[in-house]
Amino acid sequence: MPDSLFGCRPFIVVKEVVRLEDYVIVTNNPLVEEREGKTHTVELYDVGIEEILRLIRDRVHSGQRLLTHPLSGSVKPGETPYKSVLMTRGKEPFDLMSVELIQSAIEACGKFSFKRDEYDERAMRDFRIIDWTLIKSALESADSF
Amino acid sequence: MSKIKVVHYINQFFANIGGEEKADYPAEKRPGEVVGPGMAFNAAFGDEAEIIGTIVCGDTYFNENVDKATADILEMVKEMQPDLFIAGPAFNAGRYGVACGTIASAVQEKLGIPSLTGMYIENPGVDMFASKVYMVSTKNSAAGMRDAVKKMAPLALKLAKGEPIGASCEEGYIPNGVRVNFFEKERGSKRAVEMLLKKLAGKEYTTEYPMPAFDRVAPNPPIKDLSKATIALVTSGGIVPKGNPDHIESSSASKFGEYDITGVTDLTADTYETAHGGYDPVYANADADRVLPVDVMRDLEKEGVIGKLHNKYYATVGNGTAVASAKAYAAEIAKRLIADGVDAVILTST
Amino acid sequence: MKLEMGYIHISDIEFSSESKIENGKLYVSTDALKALVLEDEKLKDVSFDIARPGESVRITPVKDVIEPRVKVEGKGGVFPGIISKVDTVGSGKTYALKGMAVVTAGKIVGFQEGVIDMTGPGADYTPFSKLINLVMVCEPVDEIEPHEYEKAVRIAGFKAAAYIGELAKSLTPDETKVYETETIKEGMAKYPDLPRVAYVHMLQSQGLLHDTYVYGVDAKQILPTMLNPTECMDGAIVSGNCVSACDKNPTYVHQNNPVVHDLLEEHGKTINFVCHIVTNENVYLADKQRSSDWTAKLCKMLDLDGVIVSQEGFGNPDTDLIMNCKKIEAEGIKTVIITDEYAGRDGKSQSLADADAAADAVVTAGNANQVVVLPKLDKVIGTLDYITKIAGASENTLREDGSLEVEIQVITGATNEVGFTTLSAR
Repeated sequence: MPDSLFGCRPFIVVKEVVRLEDYVIVTNNPLVEEREGKTHTVELYDVGIEEILRLIRDRVHSGQRLLTHPLSGSVKPGETPYKSVLMTRGKEPFDLMSVELIQSAIEACGKFSFKRDEYDERAMRDFRIIDWTLIKSALESADSF
Repeated sequence: MSKIKVVHYINQFFANIGGEEKADYPAEKRPGEVVGPGMAFNAAFGDEAEIIGTIVCGDTYFNENVDKATADILEMVKEMQPDLFIAGPAFNAGRYGVACGTIASAVQEKLGIPSLTGMYIENPGVDMFASKVYMVSTKNSAAGMRDAVKKMAPLALKLAKGEPIGASCEEGYIPNGVRVNFFEKERGSKRAVEMLLKKLAGKEYTTEYPMPAFDRVAPNPPIKDLSKATIALVTSGGIVPKGNPDHIESSSASKFGEYDITGVTDLTADTYETAHGGYDPVYANADADRVLPVDVMRDLEKEGVIGKLHNKYYATVGNGTAVASAKAYAAEIAKRLIADGVDAVILTST
Repeated sequence: MKLEMGYIHISDIEFSSESKIENGKLYVSTDALKALVLEDEKLKDVSFDIARPGESVRITPVKDVIEPRVKVEGKGGVFPGIISKVDTVGSGKTYALKGMAVVTAGKIVGFQEGVIDMTGPGADYTPFSKLINLVMVCEPVDEIEPHEYEKAVRIAGFKAAAYIGELAKSLTPDETKVYETETIKEGMAKYPDLPRVAYVHMLQSQGLLHDTYVYGVDAKQILPTMLNPTECMDGAIVSGNCVSACDKNPTYVHQNNPVVHDLLEEHGKTINFVCHIVTNENVYLADKQRSSDWTAKLCKMLDLDGVIVSQEGFGNPDTDLIMNCKKIEAEGIKTVIITDEYAGRDGKSQSLADADAAADAVVTAGNANQVVVLPKLDKVIGTLDYITKIAGASENTLREDGSLEVEIQVITGATNEVGFTTLSAR
């Protein structure tokens, strides 16, 4: 996956979903789109971890509120290449907590080094699974009503 | 093994030259001499190290001639070729503390010689230099000399030998922002229980991780009707009229400027520039609106989004400017803005 | 509630044709244990090994560490809701085998971490180097999903620990300790002048491989609730957590929760230890708000004077920790929090992902990013395949002389956030 700051192109854009929702999943993890895309709005970006966090930050700055913690999971941000978050779909009054959470998540990235070359496909698959299960735990909460 | 060679820096008072009336005493090198507190250090070093020379400088002289004094003293230290440099301890003497911090960090940074100083936690030198050079926490007066030397001497030897330096609480230095692991005597849960018992009893306790300092300002209520509001621009990004008429310094600014922008709709390369020395000025100089968005504010004014843009803006340089100075400038700027009936301010930095 | 803990000191472990404990020595029939573990059709094979303190042995990747215990008298059995019925535990009599543990290992995910060195500098950082460890390396069947494998290994560990604990049921303990706490009303009458204190215990609950179970309930589905301090000693709380070796709480730590034990030590002397409150660390922000509101509410309803809050994990839980602390302090209840730090290798970065001025009494378990060099050891139980890739290891993790350069976050229990060890930082 390209880690370039400018190579950000959504390769699958917003999907029309079966039911009305008030949130979207923003992710760079293709497995999330694969498993949740049929029932949820998934916006998948083919970018690295820092870039997906920055993308999320830009949305926070423009009024979308975070519904999940961007540092979800004990797999550190510099170690897993994948990250998914839930955000409100519509714009809301500026949410300071979201700003702080995403900002500290981006800062935390700098503390860890991701050794992409050393991970085999199995590890990458497991990273995708872990990221998916983390967001799935949030979907269970979000969808309980 | 030969002894570690130490050069010691002290002020006019500890060199027995005199008090405040002699504080303008210029920097002086005394090779081979061990003066005042140096004797206590020599005794504490035992066979491991010895002071090979002392540098004396008056506190007023140092602080009023920082650049020259620093350069002169660096030269003196260089000539004596020590393995270790010790400044002070300065206890609660403010200007002495600043001198010790300045020179100890300069010797370490410029000459690559391990350096150590010591002072009282409330000495202004602590805020300025604790993150730059190891600084032992001392009592607030020279009555604590023995205690200070007892902590400084072993740490100094470790520094000179290049040994790993333990956590601040083990070595006695003032926390410098670098977190260092060590093994406590009691496990964490026990320490938590003990801390809670103290907190419950209203006794003093020390947190093991001080939260980052917060200086939060409660936000004012929002502007009810932006279309009637007067908005001012204030920046720490150093945007000044071309030529920097007030000579605002490129770092550690000692002032702020007030500039009239009546009729100005766009800041151009011919009319405005940045005085800031802490970032690449090319883009700010090409179009200063990038830092101080006068152009966009004029648009909003024209579109009726805001009532009007205040006809004066305020600028200083945030680069290395002391928080205390910044606070003082802000207080004065706020006073003027309120007097002029400004409703809101947009603060821009770099 | 009153629980009598009987401690049986184990001086050595040996494989044998018959499982028994004699004169402090544990004999284990690997055949019997294997048959028990392989009852689970998700597991293909299991191998056993013994690692003793001081031996040149490295165990990795470690999943869980469990202390064998057995219920001798009183309601319920160990690990209620998981391998015993869900009866409320924490009263009567329980025996624990001290000085040893069952360690489960297995490469559940491709970036698995968790190292226990039995000697050398690594041993200083893990509390489990001081135990005689019976290690089980579990092999899954082919084509298994990580979460199925995790569950199989998790249950296998509890079954093995319960099996071994059972061997002690008819023995006489070497040492006995009685833990007793009162009901709310009794406590108030008995200790009218002592400050009322509780323990707010945050449980990792972010999703698969990040879960904790309370009486068999996935903690992310609980609302904050109260336990008697003795319940955890019977295995009421167990770990399903595979990630973040340094600051996850293995089941052993839940059984021997140091905050619970140290508060019980002071109970009736300097404090009235009212109860053990468990809460979670969910990913969904509304859950965080609800749970922290509820812990603060419970603390207020219990008229507490002081609280210790402990954390599990990094990042996401920092937010729960600060929310809990802030809200409990806002109720006028004094708090002390226990955490660890990720201050970067140079120790210069911001240690926590969240902060608040209300958190003015912090105990830290040290900087997990600190680098340590672990020498090559003679024997590896498990596999080194993953350590070169795991969290905290650098590009040149595996050095030419066979030593490993890693951050201490790969070491099991190194920066435990319930204060199980003495590591700290300033």
